[in-house]
Amino acid sequence: MKIGLEIHIQLPTRTKLFCSCSTSGDEVNSSVCPICLGFPGSRPMLNRRALEMGVSIAKFLNCEITDKVWFSRKTYFYPDLAKNYQITQYETPLGRNGHFMVGDRRIGIWEAHIEEDPGRIKRAGRAGEEVALVDYNRSGVPLVEIVTAPDLTTPEEARAFLSDLLIELRHLVGLSPQDETTVRADGNISVGEERVEIKNINGLRNIERALKFEAKRQSRLLAAGKKIVRETRRFDEELGTTLPSREKEFEEDYGYIGEPDLGTYVIGPMARAMELPETPLARASRLEREHGVAAASARQMVLTSWELADMFEALASRFGGEAATTWTLGPLASHWKELQERHGDRLESNVVPIIEQVCAGTITDAEARMRLDVLAGREAAPAAAPAAEGDLKQLVARLVDSHPEVVKDYRTNPRAANFLIGQVMKETQGRYASKEVSDMIRKELEKRV
Amino acid sequence: MNGAELAAAVRRADVGYQVFAERLEDPIAYEGDHAFHFSTKDNLCSIDFQTRSGSRILEGYRPPFDATAIERLRKAGGLLIGKTNMDEFGFGSFSTNSAIGVPRNPFDLERCCGGSSGGAAAAASLIEDHLAVGVSTGGSISCPASFCGVVGLTPTYGRVSRWGLIDYGTSLDKVGLLSASSAPIRRYLPVISGPDPLDPTSQTQPPLDMSGGIDSVAVPEEMVADLSDDMRDAFQEAVGKLEGMGVEVLKVAMPALRYALPAYYILATAEASTNMARYCGMRYGDIVEDTDLGFNELFSSVRSRGLGSETKRRILLGTFCRMVGLRDRYYIKALQVRQLVIRQYEEAFQGADAVLTPTMPYVAPRFDEIETMTALEAYHADILTVPPNLAGLPHISLPCAYIGGMPAGMQLAAPHWKEGRLLSLAERWESEFQYRIPEGRT
Amino acid sequence: MDEETVRKVARVARLDLTDEEVSKYAADLEDILSTFEVLDEAPSTEDFDLDPVPVEDRLRDDEVLAYPDPARLRREMRTADGWVRGPRLT
Repeated sequence: MKIGLEIHIQLPTRTKLFCSCSTSGDEVNSSVCPICLGFPGSRPMLNRRALEMGVSIAKFLNCEITDKVWFSRKTYFYPDLAKNYQITQYETPLGRNGHFMVGDRRIGIWEAHIEEDPGRIKRAGRAGEEVALVDYNRSGVPLVEIVTAPDLTTPEEARAFLSDLLIELRHLVGLSPQDETTVRADGNISVGEERVEIKNINGLRNIERALKFEAKRQSRLLAAGKKIVRETRRFDEELGTTLPSREKEFEEDYGYIGEPDLGTYVIGPMARAMELPETPLARASRLEREHGVAAASARQMVLTSWELADMFEALASRFGGEAATTWTLGPLASHWKELQERHGDRLESNVVPIIEQVCAGTITDAEARMRLDVLAGREAAPAAAPAAEGDLKQLVARLVDSHPEVVKDYRTNPRAANFLIGQVMKETQGRYASKEVSDMIRKELEKRV
Repeated sequence: MNGAELAAAVRRADVGYQVFAERLEDPIAYEGDHAFHFSTKDNLCSIDFQTRSGSRILEGYRPPFDATAIERLRKAGGLLIGKTNMDEFGFGSFSTNSAIGVPRNPFDLERCCGGSSGGAAAAASLIEDHLAVGVSTGGSISCPASFCGVVGLTPTYGRVSRWGLIDYGTSLDKVGLLSASSAPIRRYLPVISGPDPLDPTSQTQPPLDMSGGIDSVAVPEEMVADLSDDMRDAFQEAVGKLEGMGVEVLKVAMPALRYALPAYYILATAEASTNMARYCGMRYGDIVEDTDLGFNELFSSVRSRGLGSETKRRILLGTFCRMVGLRDRYYIKALQVRQLVIRQYEEAFQGADAVLTPTMPYVAPRFDEIETMTALEAYHADILTVPPNLAGLPHISLPCAYIGGMPAGMQLAAPHWKEGRLLSLAERWESEFQYRIPEGRT
Repeated sequence: MDEETVRKVARVARLDLTDEEVSKYAADLEDILSTFEVLDEAPSTEDFDLDPVPVEDRLRDDEVLAYPDPARLRREMRTADGWVRGPRLT
């Protein structure tokens, strides 16, 4: 199975791509002007911030940056398109031939460019006779379009790719709060030889649903000995199925020409000078490499909180990756909010001595945990009666069952166990010594490997 | 002229010569303290008149904003007295492709005014001390200036903001001025020039420099080969006068100019066909609601009803030139050829201050002659005006002869941004050569 | 430029043409296109721009400047509850 995606993500600028209207309009058709309505005599002016965001995204995706770019008019007729052409980048995307890692899979990025969003259509009237009601608040909002190579191999992988991409871009440029629902994509999927395009799927969840349905549809056809027709389909959110595209069958030839009103932009030097911040998943990878943290643990850490990862690195540099993982993922993570609120900048200097002592063996695990609880402003847990070993065994078994990815990880990386150790310690609140828990977990994992 | 006289002159031009698509009717509007009066071609947006660009499809459209050029002239104390008739959306060289009114030549009612700024040239010719704002894409200021015996200045591309100009060819349109002599143009060009935050292409211009002069001109031999005898003789006489004024006249070869007309028609129509796409009866002008038709059928129906035949021809040509499999040979090639033409002029400017040709191959044709012209013949009228327009060079048309009583102009093109030297030469020319006033004016 | 091509181009450009018009335009455009053949002789160049004068790096700061009167713009169109009324979608 081969899947490629053409992804559209709204850039979080204050103003639209070609005019100074706000990108957040409340009432319908309130954030509009002659430019985004395409009134005769109007012409575009490019938003500097949108261009910078687009270039940083292309650079982040490891693209070759096009030194000199311009914009193009893509002409087609639809009620949501104010000028009946969209200003996009056809001949000169911001970058080409990049890639993005999903786990250890390298997904090719053919190109990234910026373009304007059309307006939003609401359908009104009887089915089969619906008319368009249009809100042009969205007309002119900046989009980045990212086109992948058909390197994705399952709908689940496509979803993971998108999810990870959004995580990274959120940190890189900031995205809208509902970015998982506002992201749109066209998906190209071929189970056999022929490729089917599904256009205009809204939101992460629907993209996965659409690809899953289409994969099944194609598989069934092939299994029945039928041929797959190369076509463009659409996804019906209510039915959860893809359907042949109903409307835009009219002859279209986009007839691209340059946009003379905007001229050219030399972005090579801007791109080279840009220093991109470290993004969450890239950071998780680095933590894996530098401190031997298991992939799942590193990921959980950076996604819980950036500062939590900072704490981890502070502890890891002093006490090593394993100890840092145990303590960061367990007690620190579970009370992270309270710890930050109560201690702010001094948190690290308050935590380090405790960890130092427990690593040196001066205090027990339980003692350390109690002190961290105190730091978090929680009452020390009452010393519970030592529980039967059977309880621990059941707990460990349950946790190992519910984390198959850790079992998989453990095959190649023994440190993967640390994640579960932390979980158990958290759940048992220090009733068991960490060594006891560690041994039991490893035994359970060995059984399954 | 006082207010009443101005009102009468405007009325005469309107009723006698169909100069205006719309104009001030109330005599009171002409009273008051205005520094000057002006009109604009009806493809420049104005808030107090309809703006229809010579087309049915914009019937009833009242723009919510003024074009920058209009705003600046009003701020300088100008009274906008009306919108002048033109070829629909600028498509034409005789102003006969108008759905609103076809202006008649002030020197001969049976002849056209030229186009597409025909009404503007007629207004400049018929109304004393009048400043007419026009627009040129391939020669639409020079041509009517030549046919109507007035001065027409087309500034460098980007010199005057195009905000509020209804686009024909986005990389070719220029707002310019026509008047019965060069003095008002010299005075008001600085008013409309200068960067505008609303038009990116106006933002890299150097400051307008009204100094400079012309001591030498180059005449491209290819361009004067194909003229009627009358026109050739008239042009030679004008050249003689220039030499008498101390201007050196050099003959040069500019072979790349033979590519200019085809490259122009490809670029202009390709850009125009996209600029025209927005007119579909949905957001302004003639809005049509018909729920029996799907949107494609509706758009096609509205456009076919609301657009004239020349407009359709150019949309077809322009769409063709940018379609898949064709755009490299036509659209991309035309962009490349434009560079060749620009470089050809740069070479000529090494040896002369300006390039000189007649403005048009003939005087204003009669309306019945125009009706028998093929589309190709009509396009060929632009043979002399297109080259500087394609290259975005500033150029001026000055009346230089009268052939059978009809005016004929000469056209000088200067390097980018050198409008000043054109106006200097115009001033000198006007002390050597007397422009005639048409009967319609007195 | 045969009639078949004219019909196709007309569809792309959303123009309804009568048979007479198709025939006329086919002839006109055939003539006009033949004059374009001279461009095949012209040398190609990588060095070209979209505009005849340099227009480079024209950017606008990302600051909101709300249009003062959106209602005025809405009045140019047919609206229903603020939504712009468009044509039938099918």
